[in-house]
Amino acid sequence: MDDAGYRAWIGLPLAAIVAPAHAADYMTPEQAAALFFPQADTQVPLLLKLSKEQRNAIKALSGVRQRDKTQSVWRAEAGGELLGWTVVDDVIGKHEYITYAAAISPGGRVLGIEILSYRETHGGEIRQASWREHFVGKTLQNPFKLDVDIPNISGATLSCRNVTDGVKRLLALQRVALSP
Amino acid sequence: MRLVANPIRSCLPWIAALLGMVAAATATADENLFGYVKGAETLPEGSRELYQWLTWRTGKGAGHYQALDARTEFEYGVTDRLSVSADLKLQSIDSAGLVIDGYLPGDVDYGLRLQGVEGSVKYNFLSPARDDFGLSTYVSLVYGRLDPHSGQDKDTYSVEAQLLAQKYFLEGQLVWVANVGTEMTHATRAPIPNLPPGFDWTTDPEIEWEWSLGTGASYRFVPNWYVALEAFYQTEFETVVGQERWSVFAGPSVHYGTRRWWATLTWVPQIAGGGEQYAGQTETDLHLIEKTEQEFRFKFGVNFD
Repeated sequence: MDDAGYRAWIGLPLAAIVAPAHAADYMTPEQAAALFFPQADTQVPLLLKLSKEQRNAIKALSGVRQRDKTQSVWRAEAGGELLGWTVVDDVIGKHEYITYAAAISPGGRVLGIEILSYRETHGGEIRQASWREHFVGKTLQNPFKLDVDIPNISGATLSCRNVTDGVKRLLALQRVALSP
Repeated sequence: MRLVANPIRSCLPWIAALLGMVAAATATADENLFGYVKGAETLPEGSRELYQWLTWRTGKGAGHYQALDARTEFEYGVTDRLSVSADLKLQSIDSAGLVIDGYLPGDVDYGLRLQGVEGSVKYNFLSPARDDFGLSTYVSLVYGRLDPHSGQDKDTYSVEAQLLAQKYFLEGQLVWVANVGTEMTHATRAPIPNLPPGFDWTTDPEIEWEWSLGTGASYRFVPNWYVALEAFYQTEFETVVGQERWSVFAGPSVHYGTRRWWATLTWVPQIAGGGEQYAGQTETDLHLIEKTEQEFRFKFGVNFD
């Protein structure tokens, strides 16, 4: 093979390495927290550190592994009264992490979810309110199963599955680490 | 060792065209995490995907042998469970200094030529993400006009069926797949003038029956990047000689995927093989008549929603 041929073959993987991944960031955690709790006069950011026992308890309650040892949380208050928490989480998508936020009431009920970053090929519908509203009101007693109580999105089944499992895991986290 | 310059150089315009298509694509492709084994997922309804495969096969333990296969595939999602695809296959072969009675009648050297066409359907029974365990079937019809081994004219009509299993672990960070398949081929060689004296080159129609097993695991070590190991066993039976060959190939892959496109590079050396051998073959633990010592495959995909 001549030099031009070698350069072409070497250039392809280099092109892959240097090509920038396209990120789609839709909202910051602070914006999500304000959206979830518009009546709040205080949003207190916390970095929740989870012990091994707590992570094991979260898995036992939700059936989903708690990968991270820390979790970013915003505590929403109004007049000194706890309104709930905004928990920011990353789950695995097909290519990259999907970042989302879930609002959870003091009683352990989902108040809403927002997709903060989504970078996958298919499944942009995951950001639509019509899909996200299926989580509202859910507790740990719900199945959190695709095509049972959460609809699947074609071409983005893994993303839907991991967000669905993730929200259930955050409910378990709320019970283990945030309940008074 | 002499290297094939013309077939590889002839692919460069294709690669440039594909890179141009990436720039124009509005969305990205699904992922082939492996070079040889297949996953169980299908395209969503209405999605279209274009693949380009380049496979370089090299080494028969004697003489000089190199082949480059170029395959262009278009896949369309008919429903969320059913996708169909059409393939155009080209091949180039450069073989010299190796004559194998009954198989390789002599030197051959040509650039990319139309090898054949293929049409296939893939139907998904179970989704690996929704149902915990994925299962699909893949059926294809293939017409070939050139023998991929000798490069000689050979009309083949094949039907292939595979079962494809897939399982996610670690929330999808680790992907395992397994395939089992069979292919039935009706083959007729064209006569060759001026064969070496006593050379066996049957032109009677033959039936070839191939079975294959494959498995692989792919791990996403950082966002967008996967490394994989895959292995596959193939054996073929044919009318005249019974079990003609078996071989095991195994090797690594590296895969990069984004929203806009993906690429997979795979190297699979033959690690074991048997069946027929040619006179004077020194690597007796490999099958080198219809297979080579090494295969390299580069796959590239882009999706148009």
